[in-house]
Amino acid sequence: MGVLDYFRPVSTLPAEKIRAFLNEKNAGEYNLVDVRQPEEYEGGHLPGAKLIPVGELESRLKELDPHKPTITY
Amino acid sequence: MEGGIRAWKGLAASGVPEAGMAHFPPDSPPSKLTALAWLLEKGTQKFYGEAASGLQDSGAARLFAELAGAEERHKGTLYRIHLEIAGAAEDPQFPESVFPASSGPEYMEGGVEVAKALEWTRGKSPQEILEFALALEVNAYDLHLKMEQRMADPRAKMIFALIADEEKEHLNRLQEHFIRLMTPA
Repeated sequence: MGVLDYFRPVSTLPAEKIRAFLNEKNAGEYNLVDVRQPEEYEGGHLPGAKLIPVGELESRLKELDPHKPTITY
Repeated sequence: MEGGIRAWKGLAASGVPEAGMAHFPPDSPPSKLTALAWLLEKGTQKFYGEAASGLQDSGAARLFAELAGAEERHKGTLYRIHLEIAGAAEDPQFPESVFPASSGPEYMEGGVEVAKALEWTRGKSPQEILEFALALEVNAYDLHLKMEQRMADPRAKMIFALIADEEKEHLNRLQEHFIRLMTPA
């Protein structure tokens, strides 16, 4: 086995699919997480996105509902 | 979301190399995982070392040089774990002795090819490169936590947990510098 056999691609969706998904669903039906820094979040973010900077993800995972799909950017 | 906020705003994504998520088959022996970690540290060290010279921000360049040094120390620690697992005093053939496929292209954290990542950094701003490094360190943290869970030997477990903590510290330092760059003087 080579190095790459120990990695799986992370599934990503293009912006237009995310836009359609957010239009179809109610805000309570998904977790939408902005993992950037607060300064970037303040400069503009997706509607309803929750700010959890990447370094805080592990300690704040409980803020996300594990039964709902999660979208991060 | 592919392309992040730039894609959402209808802007072109910057073609940043995509990192994968570490996944170990159930029968992966600890010796092989240790060699894999060593190879990824080596690739990440090379990335930080070479990317540092192209960074247009002296603070970020210094930080990258320090991180390259930290990855070198991790390599030494991983080599010692390997010797303990193998019950050997020396292994000059490491990592090829346990990871024969290690002579191909060099990879770093996230399974990203080092040469492609370095190529991508050309012409990129310090912020873009730091953002990529943040993603790298998240992957490194995740990888070492997963490895810690897979080690049976208590000392190996402890060392992988320590390396994971250090990768998290790297993440924090990169975040601090990233915020500093974004904050107008």
